[in-house]
Amino acid sequence: MAVKLPLERDREEPGQAADFDLIRELAALLEETGLTEIEIGEGARRVRVAKSPAPAPRLAPVPREAEEGDRPAAGPADASHPGAVTSPMVGVVYVAPEPGAKPFISVGDEVRKGETLFVVEAMKTINPIRAPRPGRVTRIVAENGAPVEYGEVLLILE
Amino acid sequence: MFDKVLIANRGEIAVRINRACRELGIKTVAVHSTADAEAMHARLADESVCIGPPPPRESYLDIPAIIAAGEITNADAIHPGYGFLSENADFASIVEEHGFAFIGPSPAHITLMGDKIRAKQTARELGLPVVPGSDSALESDESVAAASAKIGYPLLIKAVAGGGGRGIKRVDRREDLLPAVATARAEAGAAFGSDGLYLEKLVAAARHIEIQVLADRFGRAVHLGERDCSLQRRHQKVLEEAPSPALNAEQREEIGRRVQAATTELGYRGVGTFEFLYEDGAFYFIEMNTRLQVEHPVTEMITGIDLVREQIRIAAGVPLALSQEDVRLDGHAIECRIAAEDPQTFRPSPGVVSGYHTPGGPGVRVDSALYDGYRIPPYYDSLISKVIVHAGSRNECLMRLRRALEEYLIQGVSTTVPLHLRLLADAEFANGAYDNRWFERFVARVGAGAS
Repeated sequence: MAVKLPLERDREEPGQAADFDLIRELAALLEETGLTEIEIGEGARRVRVAKSPAPAPRLAPVPREAEEGDRPAAGPADASHPGAVTSPMVGVVYVAPEPGAKPFISVGDEVRKGETLFVVEAMKTINPIRAPRPGRVTRIVAENGAPVEYGEVLLILE
Repeated sequence: MFDKVLIANRGEIAVRINRACRELGIKTVAVHSTADAEAMHARLADESVCIGPPPPRESYLDIPAIIAAGEITNADAIHPGYGFLSENADFASIVEEHGFAFIGPSPAHITLMGDKIRAKQTARELGLPVVPGSDSALESDESVAAASAKIGYPLLIKAVAGGGGRGIKRVDRREDLLPAVATARAEAGAAFGSDGLYLEKLVAAARHIEIQVLADRFGRAVHLGERDCSLQRRHQKVLEEAPSPALNAEQREEIGRRVQAATTELGYRGVGTFEFLYEDGAFYFIEMNTRLQVEHPVTEMITGIDLVREQIRIAAGVPLALSQEDVRLDGHAIECRIAAEDPQTFRPSPGVVSGYHTPGGPGVRVDSALYDGYRIPPYYDSLISKVIVHAGSRNECLMRLRRALEEYLIQGVSTTVPLHLRLLADAEFANGAYDNRWFERFVARVGAGAS
């Protein structure tokens, strides 16, 4: 499990070294509570400990348990969510029209039917993924530059 | 050697290719449709990618989806298996254009052998015996008459664009020829969009005998003997055996030598099969398959050569390690194709396999993607398993096959195992006295007896 320890220290207080005991304590607290981020403040000094969730396997490399039933497709998000918008093709997903450009959409956006949400690159061609219906973006599942399978959930539209 | 191979197929052949890759230390990528998310080929591979919905056109035949799956998994070669895209020259070209190795012959050879008239012309030029017939599409009544005079009767009128048993008309007498040609031209135009026709001698009570070849990129080719695939129903093979009960050592040697020479001259690479009709001691080339075949295990059993392993090594540019003198044919092998079908009506029987036990013991091999609890989807071919047995002689082989089929337990769906058991009890089959029409008569006979 990768534990990132970005320490935001008040640079104006020289001589105050990082409090590693505090960080260890907070890291243990993260494990114990299942939280992914804790930030505490003491005076001008703030310590934030964050943990990225264990990366979900993008491809399904291992046999799944029988009791998981007839899932239509493998993937990190649940395609049965009523608002799920899934990838219609295999490829690499991008959230913006070109590197560094503004993403097509952000969480909270209202989108019209047919509006471009992502592009998926397959065989060196760029294919727009359009909104199948109008709605509000409540969650973006797709990671920029990540491979996607057919049927994998890209975002939740409600 | 390759690091990672994408297997562009499903079912038993995808499992078979996965096995060869693993034994070569190559990582594997399975592709699958949503219907095959729980399929054995997807479960056994190192990685799997869902490429589309159940219909083959939108998944296993979807070239962009398969190429994209290769790209996102960093595969360096693609194996097409049999069926699906295995004899699609465009697919082979696209695979190579995108920087993958295609585990198969060159696109040019696939194209050449995919055109049935050019394939025959090529075979003739390579010194192979070909069914007497017109060399090209016949445009005029005069050219039809001239060709028929050379061929004699009975003969067949065939559509250039036909195939798989469609677009064929039999003519027994000269006076029937021109009217039949006129009808066939109209039918071919309507059915295939091309009214090109050619004539061919009718080879009636023939056996289907095919020669397996293996060739590397450096001009070395070997033949691995024949397989007798005469037991067919509606042009689908049912059971294959090697050696053929119909050939003697001299005939085997003669046809094998000619096919080996033809393969070398063709500059072919990979595995391939030359198919012949065999009647009254004469061979007639009908077509060449430029891919791995369903019945390849029969040859593997009697030669001890892993054809899929060799195919992958050849595609990776490794020279063939054996010469013709090293090829030894040992004993006899038979393969039964088990389908999820009613053994009497041949109606497909998809469903859940509720109990499963495979035969084992000496000389028995089962190539299958079945497992206990597997749901056989209704979207694909009904072939679910191949039982292959090997023994010192044909008689021992028949006894072993019967024993193996009796051990085989597949519950929950109908299979053709009972039909194979009935076949093994038949005296004519046991004597090897069958041609490519025999099995349909046998089915009619046992069907009538059973009902």
